[in-house]
Amino acid sequence: MSARTINFTLNGQAVSTAIEPHRNLVELLQRFDLLGARESCGQGLCGCCTVLVDGVAVSGCLYFAVWVDGKSVSTVEHLDADGALSNVQQAFIDCGAFQCGFCTPGFVLMTHQLLKDCPDPSDEDIRDYLAGNLCRCAAYPEIIEAVKRAAKAAT
Amino acid sequence: MIPFEMVEPRSLEEAVALLDPTETTIRAVAGGTALMLMMKAGVFQPTRLVCLHRIEPEHARITLTEAGELRIGAMASLSEVEKDSNVAARLPVLKNALRRLSNPRVRNVARVGGALAHGDPHMDLPPVLAALGARVTINGPNTSRELPLLELFAGYYETVLEKNELITAVTVPQLHDRKSAYIKVTSRSADDWPAVGVAVTFSLHDGVLRDPIVVVSAATEKVTRLAGAEQVLQGAAIDDAVLRRAGDAAAAEASVLADAHGSAAYKRELLRVYLRRAVRQALDESTPQVRQ
Amino acid sequence: MNQVGRNIPRLEVHAKVTGRADYTHHLRLPGMLYGKVFRSTVPHGLIRSIDTQAAQALPGVHRVITGADIQKLIPEPYYGPAFHDQPILALKKVRHVGEPVAVVLASDPHVAEQAVQLISAEYEELPAVYDEVEAMQPDILVHDVLRPAGTFADLKHLKGRGGTNVALDYHLRRGDVDAAMARADHVIEHTFKTQQCLHLAFEPFVSVAEPGDQRLTIYTANQSPSFVRIEIARLFGWPENRVRVKVPYLGGGFGGKLYIKLEALVAALSMIVRRPVKIALTMEEQFYMITKHATTFRIKSGVGKDGRLVARKCEVYWNGGAYADIGPRVAQKSGFTAAGPYDIDNVSVDSYEIYTNRTPAGALRGFGVPQLVWAYESHTDLIARQLGIDPVDFRRKNLLRNGRPHASGTVLQDAAITEVFDSVVARMGWDKPFDRGSETLRRGRGIAIGLKAVISPTTSVAIVNISADGSTTAYTGTVDMGQGSDTAYALIVGEVLGIAAEEVRVIHSDTDVTPYDMGTLGSRSLYHMGNAMRLAAEDARTKLRALAVEAGLPEGTNYPPAEVFKKRYGMQAGNVIGTASFVPSYKPPAPQTGQSDNVTPFWMVGGAGVEVEVDTETGKVHILRLVNAVDCGKPINPGVARAQISGAAIMQLGFTLSEAMHLDGGQVTNASLADYKIPGIGDIPPMDNEVVAAEQHSGPFGAKGIGESGTFGVSPAIANAIHDATGVRIMELPITAEAVLRALRAQAGRPLDDE
Ligand SMILES: Cc1cc2nc3c(=O)[nH]c(=O)nc-3n(C[C@H](O)[C@H](O)[C@H](O)COP(=O)(O)OP(=O)(O)OC[C@H]3O[C@@H](n4cnc5c(N)ncnc54)[C@H](O)[C@@H]3O)c2cc1C
Ligand code: FES
Ligand code: FES
Repeated sequence: MSARTINFTLNGQAVSTAIEPHRNLVELLQRFDLLGARESCGQGLCGCCTVLVDGVAVSGCLYFAVWVDGKSVSTVEHLDADGALSNVQQAFIDCGAFQCGFCTPGFVLMTHQLLKDCPDPSDEDIRDYLAGNLCRCAAYPEIIEAVKRAAKAAT
Repeated sequence: MIPFEMVEPRSLEEAVALLDPTETTIRAVAGGTALMLMMKAGVFQPTRLVCLHRIEPEHARITLTEAGELRIGAMASLSEVEKDSNVAARLPVLKNALRRLSNPRVRNVARVGGALAHGDPHMDLPPVLAALGARVTINGPNTSRELPLLELFAGYYETVLEKNELITAVTVPQLHDRKSAYIKVTSRSADDWPAVGVAVTFSLHDGVLRDPIVVVSAATEKVTRLAGAEQVLQGAAIDDAVLRRAGDAAAAEASVLADAHGSAAYKRELLRVYLRRAVRQALDESTPQVRQ
Repeated sequence: MNQVGRNIPRLEVHAKVTGRADYTHHLRLPGMLYGKVFRSTVPHGLIRSIDTQAAQALPGVHRVITGADIQKLIPEPYYGPAFHDQPILALKKVRHVGEPVAVVLASDPHVAEQAVQLISAEYEELPAVYDEVEAMQPDILVHDVLRPAGTFADLKHLKGRGGTNVALDYHLRRGDVDAAMARADHVIEHTFKTQQCLHLAFEPFVSVAEPGDQRLTIYTANQSPSFVRIEIARLFGWPENRVRVKVPYLGGGFGGKLYIKLEALVAALSMIVRRPVKIALTMEEQFYMITKHATTFRIKSGVGKDGRLVARKCEVYWNGGAYADIGPRVAQKSGFTAAGPYDIDNVSVDSYEIYTNRTPAGALRGFGVPQLVWAYESHTDLIARQLGIDPVDFRRKNLLRNGRPHASGTVLQDAAITEVFDSVVARMGWDKPFDRGSETLRRGRGIAIGLKAVISPTTSVAIVNISADGSTTAYTGTVDMGQGSDTAYALIVGEVLGIAAEEVRVIHSDTDVTPYDMGTLGSRSLYHMGNAMRLAAEDARTKLRALAVEAGLPEGTNYPPAEVFKKRYGMQAGNVIGTASFVPSYKPPAPQTGQSDNVTPFWMVGGAGVEVEVDTETGKVHILRLVNAVDCGKPINPGVARAQISGAAIMQLGFTLSEAMHLDGGQVTNASLADYKIPGIGDIPPMDNEVVAAEQHSGPFGAKGIGESGTFGVSPAIANAIHDATGVRIMELPITAEAVLRALRAQAGRPLDDE
C-alpha cells in the first residue's frame, strides 16, 4: 500500500517521485504544478483530464499514476514550450472555441491527436474522434470550426 | 479511492499465481477503465490489483493464423485492434464498431481482455465478436481452455471465469463471404453506451439467407443469441415481411430489461426495429455504417 | 477607433488554451485540509444519532464535524438569499437525500473520503413529498416555520408563516379574466410539465476558506461574491470588511454558483479548526447541491373568432426542493411573464414556489423563463392548430409591440419582439414548401418565442483607475465564467477613454478590491455593470480633464494622460480614479395585482425555429436545423454574443431531449455524467444564429444582456415541430425518443406497455 518511486519523463524532463497506487495521473501532475489536466466528470467522459502518455491520449482521471513509470508524459503546458502557441491553440483562439475554458486543454490535446491520425478530418471524423470531449458551455460549433482551421493551417 | 497494493508480474504465469481462487478483493487489471469506475463509485474496493501491463508482449499481439483466423491477444488495446490492417481488411464490422465504442482515450487504454471479462451487458465488443463466431482462450494455473465467446457470459456482470483465470486471446474465424453488421443504438446522447446492440452475420446464396447468427446486447442481462429470429431468417429470401417476422421473433424471445436507457417495452421495440435494419445494413455493403 | 462593436477574442484566451487560467479548482494553500461530506441517505427524517467515532479514529483524519459543532460557533447557522432556511450542516432534520450531515477533514482527500464511509447516521424517517402539486397540500411539511431573509429589495415583502410548503405565492391580475373567458369564442386549456435537471458546470462546486488575523478569506467558484461577503459576515456577526471573497475565472456557472453554496460551510470549518479548508465536490455531488425547478403549468386562454387572444390564465407550480435558495425570485420574477409576449387585455397569473423533499432548485440560465416559454408556446401552437390558423399568422396577430402595456402594466420599450420573430420566420423559409419526409421518417417545423424581464432593482458599482503612465485598470465584481464580461468592460472603458480594449486591464471579483455588485446572474451584468463601467470611465475622463486644468494645461485640448500626470505631479505619479454606481429606477408590483408601470429596466427576447425528422419506428427525433434569433440591443462584442446564443440553445437542447434527474423514493438514480446525458459534439444540429438589429436605449452603448435568451424558444419549437411532423403532442419535458414513440403508439391505438 505504500508509495512507490516512479521515474518518468515529464514534458521532456526526467523526473522522479514516490506515489501510492490509488492515486491517479491528474493527482500526480498536480504535484508538479501542472494544472491544465483537471478532473471534472471523473469517468472518462469529458476529456478535461486529457494527458499524453508515450504520445497517446489517456484520461488522467482513469489512469493510475504508477503506470507512467518509465514512460514519457506530456501535458497541455508543453505545447507552447518553445514560446509559441501550437496551431491548434491558435485556431481555438481565432474561432472562439471555448467559453469558461475548463474543457479547453482536453479539446486542444485531442485535436492534436486527431490531426495526427487524420490530417484532413471530415465533420464525421471530428464528431467521432471528439465524442469523448464534452463542453458544458457548448462551444461545439466553434470547436468544429477550430479543428478545421487548425487542419488547414497545418497543410 | 482507498489504498491497495498493485503488483506488476512479468509473465502470465506469475500473474495467474498472484490471483486468488477465492478472494474477491484481488483482481487483474488490464486498462483499468472499467475497474476504476467501479472503485470510484465505491462498488469495488480491492486489496490487490494484478497489473497485466508487463506480462509477455505476445499477449498484446494481433496475428493472422495459418487457418486465416485472426488471433487477438487479450492485452491488445482497443485502439490497436481498431487500427490493425488485418482487422480493417477482413473484419470491417469490428473496426466500425470500435470507432464508436466509448472514445479514443478509453480505447487507447482499455484492452480486449478487459472489454470481454468486465461482463457489463452494455458493451459493444462482445456482441460483434460473438456474431463473428469468436472463441476465447482462458488460462488458469496450469490450465488452458477455449470457449465460444458466448459461453463466457453467465449473467449480469458475470462470466464463467474462475477468480484465478485470465483471458489470453480471442480468435475470430474468417468471415469469408459472410455479411455482417452491428448497430449500436443509443437512446440519450450520441456518445452514450448502447441502449441496445444488435449484431448479425449470415451468408447469402442466390438471394437466400443462410446460417444467420443474431446477437443482442445491452437490452438483455447478458449478450444473447436469438435463435428464434435466426430460424425465421434461415433459408428465407429477404423482404420486408421476413424482416418484420424476424424482428418480431427477436422481440418475443429476448428477455429485455429496463434500465436508464429506456423501459423494457421501449427497448423491445428498438430490438424489433434494429434487427431489421441490421440485416438490411449487412446486405447493403455500400453503406458500411448507418448512424441510427 | 471605435471599441464597442469590435469582434475581439476575450482577454484571457491565452491563459485558457495553455491550461494556465486560474480556477478555484486548482487552489492549494499551505496547511490546507480537504473536507469530504457525509450526506443524508433519506429524503426526510429526524436525525436520531450520528456516529463519527470510527471515522475520527482513522489515521490521517484531522477532525469530523457535525451540525452541533457548527452551532457552537454560529448559534443560528442558517443561510439563504430569500429565506434563512438552509443549515450549514443538517440540524435535527434532513430534508433531501444528499443533504450534508457531517464533514471529515484530512490533509489527504482520499483519507477524508474513506473516513466518510465509516460514518453512520440513524434517522427517524418522515413521509416525504416530491411533487410540486401534491406539496400544495399541507399534509407533509418540509419546514415547520418559514424564515424570510429580507436581504434583497425585490424580496422584502416575504412573510414568515407556518403550516404550508408554499414559500412564495405571486399574483398578477390585469383586466377581468373570468368575464373575458366567458365571452370568448374558444376557451382552450392545457397542462405542461418540465423535469428537474441541473447546471453541471465542468468546474464542480469548490470553495476554500483561509482564516487570518481577525479576518477570513474565501476563495470560491461563485457568481455573487458580494452576496457571499454579506452573508458570511452576517453569520459571524462581523462587519463586511472582515470577510474577503475572491473569485478567479469560473469553470462554468449557469446560475448554479449563485448566492451561498459551499462558502458558509468552508468558512465555519476553517474557523473551527483554524486552518485553510477546501471542499471540492465531485460531479456526482453536484446533483445534491442545486437544480433547475421542475414545474407544472396550467394555462388557459380565451380566443375570439378573429384569432385574437382575449384572456389568459396561468397557474405555475415551481418545485423548489428542500431549501428555497433563490426559488422565490424565480417564481415571482418569471411568474409575471407567464402569459408570454402577447398583447392580452385580461391576464391572471398565480405562481407558487413550493418546498419538496428534493435537491433544492434555483436559477438556471433563464431564471424560470424557459419553463414558462415551454408551456405558453406549446399552448399557443395548439390554439393555432385548433383554430386552423397557421402558427406564424396566429402569433403575428397577437404579439406584443413596443408602446403597448405588458400584462404587468409596464409599457413595452426596446423589446424587438417583432424583429426576432420575423428573423426566425424568414430564415426558416416558413412560407416555402418543404420536404415532408416519408412514412417512417416524417418531417415537420415549429417555431417559438419568449420574453423575459431582468431582475430589478439591482446595483452595480465600478471603478476605473488611470495610472500615471496612462495605463488603465477597471475593477468589477462581475464574475467571468466564459461569457466574456471582462472583455466587454474593456471595450466599454476603451470606447469612453479612446484606447484599445486590449490595453485595459480588468480586475474582477475580489471584494477587498472590487466594489459591490449584486451578482452575475439573469443577464443583468452587461446592462448594470456595463452602465456603471461606462459612467466610471466617464468620471475618470472628467477627473483627468480637471487634473489637466489643475496642471495649468489649456482646457479643451486632449493631452495624453501620462503628460497630464507628469505636469501635475512633476514625475510619473498619481492616479485618477473614476467611480460610478448604477441602479435603475423601479416600481415594485402591487402585492394583490402585480401591477407596476416600471417593473423592469429592459426586456430580453429570444426566438427559435426548428425543422425535425421523426423516426416513427423508434421515436428518435433528429433536429435537421435550428434557427435562433435574439435581441441583445447592440452587441458589444459580436462574436462572443453569437457564441452565447448557440451555447444557450445547445444547453436547452439537452434540457429538451435528454437531461432529467431521475428519482426513486427520493434517491437520485442517475447522479453522474454517465447516466445524466448532456449534449456532446455528436448531438449538435446545424444552427443558424442571429442577433437582430436593435438598440436598448438605456443600455451601455445600446447593449443589454444575452446569456439566457438563446434558451427561450428551443423546447417548444421542437415540440411544435414534432406535432407538425407526426400529429402527436408532447406535454412534458424531456422529449425522449421513448416518450415520442409512446405518444405515437398511443395515437395509433397500440400503446406500449408501461414497464
Ligand atoms: C467513458 C467510458 C465510456 C464507455 N463507453 C463504452 C461504450 O460505448 N461501449 C462499450 O463497449 N464500452 C464502453 N465503455 C467500457 C469500456 O469498454 C471498458 O471500460 C473497457 O473495455 C474495459 O477494459 P479495461 O482493459 O480497461 O478493463 P479493466 O478495467 O482493466 O478490467 C475490467 C474487468 O476485466 C477484468 N480483466 C481485465 N483483463 C482481463 C483478462 N485478460 N482476463 C480476465 N479478466 C480480465 C478485470 O479484472 C476487471 O474485472 C466505456 C468506458 C468508459 C470509461
Ligand atoms: S475528468 Fe477525466 S474524462 Fe472527465
Ligand atoms: S468552455 Fe466551458 S466547458 Fe467547455
